[in-house]
Amino acid sequence: MSELARSASGTVAGEDLADVARVLAGDIQAFEGIVRRWQGPLINMAWRYTRDRGRAEELAQEAFLRAWRGLAGWRQEGSFSTWLFALAANVFRSELRRFPTVTLPLDEAPEPSGPALQHSALAARMSHDVVRRAVLSLPLRYREPVVLFYFHEMDLGLAARTMGLPEGTMKARLSRARALLRRRFPHLEAEHEAFELAGKEA
Amino acid sequence: MDHGNIDDILATEEKLIPSSGFLASVMESVREEAAAPQPIPFPWKLALPGMLLAAAVLGFGAFELVRALLPALKSSPIALPHLSATLVQPLEEAGWVAMALGASLLSWLFSRRLAGRSGLL
Repeated sequence: MSELARSASGTVAGEDLADVARVLAGDIQAFEGIVRRWQGPLINMAWRYTRDRGRAEELAQEAFLRAWRGLAGWRQEGSFSTWLFALAANVFRSELRRFPTVTLPLDEAPEPSGPALQHSALAARMSHDVVRRAVLSLPLRYREPVVLFYFHEMDLGLAARTMGLPEGTMKARLSRARALLRRRFPHLEAEHEAFELAGKEA
Repeated sequence: MDHGNIDDILATEEKLIPSSGFLASVMESVREEAAAPQPIPFPWKLALPGMLLAAAVLGFGAFELVRALLPALKSSPIALPHLSATLVQPLEEAGWVAMALGASLLSWLFSRRLAGRSGLL
């Protein structure tokens, strides 16, 4: 079970609350439990913002430090993970504004290899990586909804809460982002439609 | 609504495993942060009388400057724009307010600079 899914179960939420209470009572060591539970999700979230492993860990570390500083200010109205993700998104957004990742403009992102090459698993993997990296070329207002929506395993509500946006706005931005990506990689859609059609015929 | 292959690609991604030293590194930063002395708050009680005095002196100086310059300006050959009496009073008041704000800002910046030099900020 993924950490995100486990957090929804309530077990992790209880552990988080207990650790937060201990930290606020002065037990620094209890913060380790929080870091242990959330290091994976936060690094993976930062990775989706940067596509740079080293930087992802730096950003995740900064997010944990901010969480440590701001723990007393958490009003415990929602789950700890929602608060942590929203805080991390703010940290990643502001850090990336200060030091942006070097990306190609969306129009210059290379088109993934053609269908013939995609029989090879490696070529498919490379072409998928190009699409994932192309997300970073989207304008920030469209990029972040895409990053968070797929990071949260396509849970629109959770992604909207992390960004602090209404779900409708999130949905509209997501739709615009998809349209931009589809325009850039038209063959992916064509392949998908062909695959769907073949499935129906079979 | 079917969003096709792009959805599949973005939704399926290999998970990164945190590097072995990550947890230790975060906890070290947290411990350093916890051990660091709390920042000394700005000594408002001590600084406020001085700031008020500086603002008063600056305000008085500005007032005296304007008073000394006004007759000279009136007798100068430069043609000043003619303003109606209804405009003059609010403009004059706004000028005083702006001057007072400027003086306060200057004294605040000055005191911050002094506090910064002495290591209080």
